[in-house]
Amino acid sequence: MNAVVTLTRSLMRQTLRNRQGLFWTLFFPVVLMVVFSFLGNSQSRVNLAVVAPSGRATAVVKAFKQSPLFHVTEMNRSSALQEVQRGHLDAALIVPSAHGHPTTTLTLRYNDANTLSAQQAVGSVEAFVSQADIALSGRPPLFRVAAKALSHSHSSTYLDFLLPGILALMTMQNSLFGIGSGLTRWKEKGVLRRFQATPVKPVQLLSATVINYIVVGLASAAIVVGFATTILHASVLVPLGGTLLVLLLGMAVFLSIGFIVAGLSKSQEATIPIINLISFPMMFLSGVFFPSTSFPRILSDIVQYFPLTYMADALRGLMSGQLTVAAGAFRTDILGLLIWLVVTGTLASRTWRWE
Amino acid sequence: MENSLRIENITKHYGALTAVDHLTLSVPSGIVFGLLGPNGAGKTTTLEIVEGLRHPDGGHVWWGDLDVFRNPDEARSRFGVQLQTSAFFELLTVKETLELFRSFYRRALPVSDLIARLDLGEKQNARVGGLSGGQRQRLALAVALINDPEVVFLDEPSAGLDPQARRNLWEVILGLKAEGRTVVLTTHYMDEAECLSDRLAIVDHGQVLDEGTPKELIQRHMPAAVVEVSRSVGVDATVSLPGVQRMEERDEVTMLISEHLEDTLVGLVNWAQQQHRTITGLTTRNATLEDVFLELTGRSLRE
Ligand SMILES: Nc1ncnc2c1ncn2[C@@H]1O[C@H](COP(=O)(O)OP(=O)(O)OP(=O)(O)O)[C@@H](O)[C@H]1O
Ligand SMILES: [Mg+2]
Repeated sequence: MNAVVTLTRSLMRQTLRNRQGLFWTLFFPVVLMVVFSFLGNSQSRVNLAVVAPSGRATAVVKAFKQSPLFHVTEMNRSSALQEVQRGHLDAALIVPSAHGHPTTTLTLRYNDANTLSAQQAVGSVEAFVSQADIALSGRPPLFRVAAKALSHSHSSTYLDFLLPGILALMTMQNSLFGIGSGLTRWKEKGVLRRFQATPVKPVQLLSATVINYIVVGLASAAIVVGFATTILHASVLVPLGGTLLVLLLGMAVFLSIGFIVAGLSKSQEATIPIINLISFPMMFLSGVFFPSTSFPRILSDIVQYFPLTYMADALRGLMSGQLTVAAGAFRTDILGLLIWLVVTGTLASRTWRWE
Repeated sequence: MENSLRIENITKHYGALTAVDHLTLSVPSGIVFGLLGPNGAGKTTTLEIVEGLRHPDGGHVWWGDLDVFRNPDEARSRFGVQLQTSAFFELLTVKETLELFRSFYRRALPVSDLIARLDLGEKQNARVGGLSGGQRQRLALAVALINDPEVVFLDEPSAGLDPQARRNLWEVILGLKAEGRTVVLTTHYMDEAECLSDRLAIVDHGQVLDEGTPKELIQRHMPAAVVEVSRSVGVDATVSLPGVQRMEERDEVTMLISEHLEDTLVGLVNWAQQQHRTITGLTTRNATLEDVFLELTGRSLRE
């Protein structure tokens, strides 16, 4: 049987049997997404304390409780105000105990130190109350707002923003560390030398290694996307062709960089810091966790040329539905990755040494 | 046709260090050839050059008509190699490892034969990462034999083996010779070199100091018998005894290398009586390969 086939099979066995390695490959992306999806959820609801005299105004409390906009806790006045003051709750809604007037005044107390949550709370409560007013009084509204998003119709959460970034980041880490530290270890321990003593050609061993990393990379990307969409309810698009193209190109670039590092360094101790040096700036600057548009001009001018930036931007564009494979911005990202591939691939083949 | 392995003038520099220095050797086919030398003598470097794993700075290697450096692929498919330290995929089993290496060759032996021959049956489904040092060593030898090689290179095959496993290894090596294969091995054990090798080369500083059958080497460098007494007896350079060619002190022993055993012994007894000394630790023996080694390299084997 062909050596590439048998080598690939052996490497896959190695990968699947390395339970710890598999665990850590998937652990960080999953944990990051879970954490951020919780943060995202609690932000979209208003945490509201309702202070109502017992037995009175139950209809109002009930209406607030049933609304998906609010997370309602009933409590007494002083503790409600205290919680708001401390920033644990967004606002306290105070229902008066008696009403003689035709209009009941609901008092909303908020903490203006927290501008954002206060604005959200006030806005949500006002909108809700006027809607409830209309519904109860039976008068038809004079105006209605028909809101329509410009691109895709789903409201995007932070998780939707994060997921493509995580995919890009995973691809970078797996490829860089896999090849970079894996090959150095083989070199150090004499695994490569042993293969060198057989008729196996270097290119066959390298092909098997690359195939192995590609399969592992795509499988873990699929698991992460599956987890995010089914369990965490991320709403993203996954146009298969475009996504695969970006993932494969990204892998090729980062595998080449890994090769260069493994070719240049003699030991594990030398490899790991170099890989960290390459991956850390990209991890934080390439728009994985937050858009790089918020950086100072000079920084974002540089960052836009990073391979991880091209990857993250292209994936995010595709998955949010803002870009199609035909879009100019997408083509720019692909071109950027291709240029990186030519440069790093050439360097990798020049610097690689068996001895 | 009678093949032979011809190593001509190979040289290898590492910076200022000359690891192999115009080394020339000829190994007739079908024999076990031993390379002996102290640590750092250049044995591993020599083997790896001959195997086609390292590029020499000069020289040629021929196996019969085959120019090893010109046709490395052909050479690799006909050579079997056990490296001084070789690592395999840790998470594969012994059997899977052998099957993997088997797939690289057009001609190969059945995996089950090698497992039986190297007594790996109990461990065939164990992961390589969990093998003991000696078991790993046996796996490395099995992998070296998987392609039914014409020449087998073994770099310290008995390192880390227990005495029983060493005996078994010797049998395997003698079995390889009986099958008509040529074996080139390095070792730090004199008994092993003496018992296994048909011919030997003693190497130091990348050069061959001498080469021949174990008998020839002893005859050439240590024609005489060796008389040993405790150092405390006080026989030293000022004492001249009949027949003694040379005197050496090693640890607690004074060695008298003698051309004429009887004369030396009589002289020693007479001297002791005159000086009122007591002779302790007296032994006489024939010179060994170890003595030759020490004579040639000035270093003991396992130094
Ligand atoms: N890759 C290398 N780079 C630099 N020097 C090296 C390299 N490999 C070997 N050497 C040096 O070349 C010399 C010969 O080494 P070699 O490994 O051939 O010795 P050896 O006879 O096999 O010793 P041992 O009995 O300890 O295995 C040593 O001085 C060693 O330090
Ligand atoms: Mg050695």
